[in-house]
Amino acid sequence: MKEKFLIKQPLYLIFSVVFISGVLMLLLYGTIKIEQSIEKKMIEISTNDVFTIVNNSVIQIEELLDKEQDYSSQILSNEILQKAIEKKLELLITENIAYTYLLYKDERGVFRFLADGSKKDKAFVNQKFDIDNLQWLDVYKTKESLQIENSYLQELSITHIAPVFRKGKVEMLLTVDFSIKKVRKINQILTMMKNGIITIVIIIILFLAILLFQTLRYLKMRKNAYVDKLTGVYNRNYLQDAQDFIHLQDYILATLDIDHFKAVNDTYGHDVGDKILTQVAECIRGSMRKHQDIAIRYGGEEFVLLIKRDPKETLEEINIVEYIFKAIQTKDFWIQKKESLAITVSIGVNLAPHQSRTFSEAFKLADIALFNAKSRGRNNIEIYDENNHNNNSTMMSINEIKEAIEENRLLCYYQKIVSNETLESSHYEALLRIRDKQGNIITPDRILPAIEGTFLLRNITKAVLEICYEKLLVDPDISINVNLNPTDIINPSIIEILTEYAQQEGIAKRLGLEIVETQDVVRTADGKENLLTLKKLGYKIYIDDFGSGYSNFIYLAQIQTDFIKIDGAIIKKILDDKISYLLVKSVVGFAKEAGIQVIAEFVSSEEIYQKVKELGIEYSQGYHFSIPSEL
Amino acid sequence: MRLFWLTLILFSFLPAQNYTFMLDTYTKETELEATIIKRVASASLPQEEIRLFIPEISELEQKVYQKFFILSSNCEDANFVFVKKSVDISSYCKDTKKLILTSNYRKLLSDEKYYGAFFWQKSRPNITFISQRLQERGVKLPSEFDKFVEDF
Repeated sequence: MKEKFLIKQPLYLIFSVVFISGVLMLLLYGTIKIEQSIEKKMIEISTNDVFTIVNNSVIQIEELLDKEQDYSSQILSNEILQKAIEKKLELLITENIAYTYLLYKDERGVFRFLADGSKKDKAFVNQKFDIDNLQWLDVYKTKESLQIENSYLQELSITHIAPVFRKGKVEMLLTVDFSIKKVRKINQILTMMKNGIITIVIIIILFLAILLFQTLRYLKMRKNAYVDKLTGVYNRNYLQDAQDFIHLQDYILATLDIDHFKAVNDTYGHDVGDKILTQVAECIRGSMRKHQDIAIRYGGEEFVLLIKRDPKETLEEINIVEYIFKAIQTKDFWIQKKESLAITVSIGVNLAPHQSRTFSEAFKLADIALFNAKSRGRNNIEIYDENNHNNNSTMMSINEIKEAIEENRLLCYYQKIVSNETLESSHYEALLRIRDKQGNIITPDRILPAIEGTFLLRNITKAVLEICYEKLLVDPDISINVNLNPTDIINPSIIEILTEYAQQEGIAKRLGLEIVETQDVVRTADGKENLLTLKKLGYKIYIDDFGSGYSNFIYLAQIQTDFIKIDGAIIKKILDDKISYLLVKSVVGFAKEAGIQVIAEFVSSEEIYQKVKELGIEYSQGYHFSIPSEL
Repeated sequence: MRLFWLTLILFSFLPAQNYTFMLDTYTKETELEATIIKRVASASLPQEEIRLFIPEISELEQKVYQKFFILSSNCEDANFVFVKKSVDISSYCKDTKKLILTSNYRKLLSDEKYYGAFFWQKSRPNITFISQRLQERGVKLPSEFDKFVEDF
């Protein structure tokens, strides 16, 4: 996994190798430098005392000699003197000092022994001595003590040469050879220190490597968390985290929605839906400028596009939006080897997002433009216009509705349905409301247009069902009707919820299901079958707004409805319009024959009430009896 | 994880040089000695190919010296002899005028069979020739050897 990641991200691999190599080089260099420095210091400390003693010995030897005569001649000619000097040299010998000897240089420039205090390898008096290093001769020039590091002599580490002066001239050399033992001990200590340093550095490097590995893993995970797996573009998490850091003045903001995507999903299945989403995302990415523009899958079939602005030129960004739009419009979206679909999109554009205080506000304006694009028949680009906005400002945007659902700000108002005979309330119809963030109540005419045909409509149905179910549990004396969309009837999750509610005793009988008359329900086998199932569970079926659209008596028989609710638009005109009156009369006549009860909607006056009662309609609903309110 | 182990292994190689001496026998000192002997022998017998005889030569010496010389197994075949150990050279070499070098300064002083000595004094290589013995053997060393020649 990690190797694959490093292969895909060679820069990380190169960086890691360079980093580790650099650390190793530094370690090596540092260790060598420290070792050299410590060794020098330790040798200096351990030999300084000896150098002082040697210098004292030089003084003592000088005291034994007559400064008026040649030193070497004195020693060579006087065995007692020579032995006395040797005795002094012998005192210098320790475990760490291998040899001490006194040399002079003869007229040929050859060094010769005058006295040798060494216990082993003792030289003869006046024996020639071949020096191994020309540095020895420097003492005669500098007239100062000299230390020579014997790098290639196996037994010796340092040679200390102290000059013996006579009349300001170097006449003899008192030489001390340090054995390798001292350096060996120092090196042992140094090796221990070096190993300690290396161990610490290895541990530090390990920690750094682990830190590096974890950082890379974190970056990878964060990238995964920000990328939509299906489409490969950023997801909503990215937008949520990045919106505070996006400089709105650098971008124009667009929202893109795939037209009739729900129909694609419903017709061809979700796999094809996913293919379409993937191809649309590819098309968007292919039309955008790399490393400049940003595409985000906001949810479902909606994308957010951030197109980088050139402050001097506004047209170019719009061109990119148009380019995306046309690229999708002209592309064949292949769903199988030989079958393709034509897909269109609606795009809402906010050209001046920086004028909004927050990203959310800028997004809302783009969303309003998108809503307008969809309202105008989809398959177009709508640029947000301040003037237009005032007309639509009362409409809720999709995102506001989403937020309202997430924040449980959905509620129901209830309107009575009364018996025309007894004027007693028999049912309530639950009507959707949303409480906005300011506490205002929003009615369905400002809610439903934005979410028509989207998955949100289904979520709202579920929320309303849950509210009504809880109301029925709390108050066992009331019955409530709930409006269902035709597509809800063929939706398994809605049917499942209703089946579950029916397990609770008395719920199905008290929860009426109002369905707008449409061909969709009877066209599908699932729709008819589900309605019959719901009826078997005990639910009453109400056909809502009957007479407004696809009015078909055969359809009524097929779905075995229990109630018909005659459309309010017809009832409103019943007093003045003869056609409306005759239409209602014939519907009532058929219903009575078919054993279906009738409810008149929009009964707003005593006159209308009397007329519907006269026609034999069993129930009435309208402002004449009650206005929708909370229970 | 693989990177971690690789790094660890690389680090473990760092002190490896401390242990390589265990693999090879130490030959540096013998090599230095052989180089010096080669120069001495070549200077002493400039016209001849050196055939060296070392009595009771060790395996290590044989290994090192044969890089520099043609080694002889006896004194008769050799034109240059280097006596390293405490051996009685008379039992190996009848010809007393042969160029015989000793590694013992005392022997040089006491035994006239040796014309010079190469020995380690205070851990440093030292060479000494005795002027008279060079003359007896007709050896004329180059001038750079003058500082090694003693008039006893």
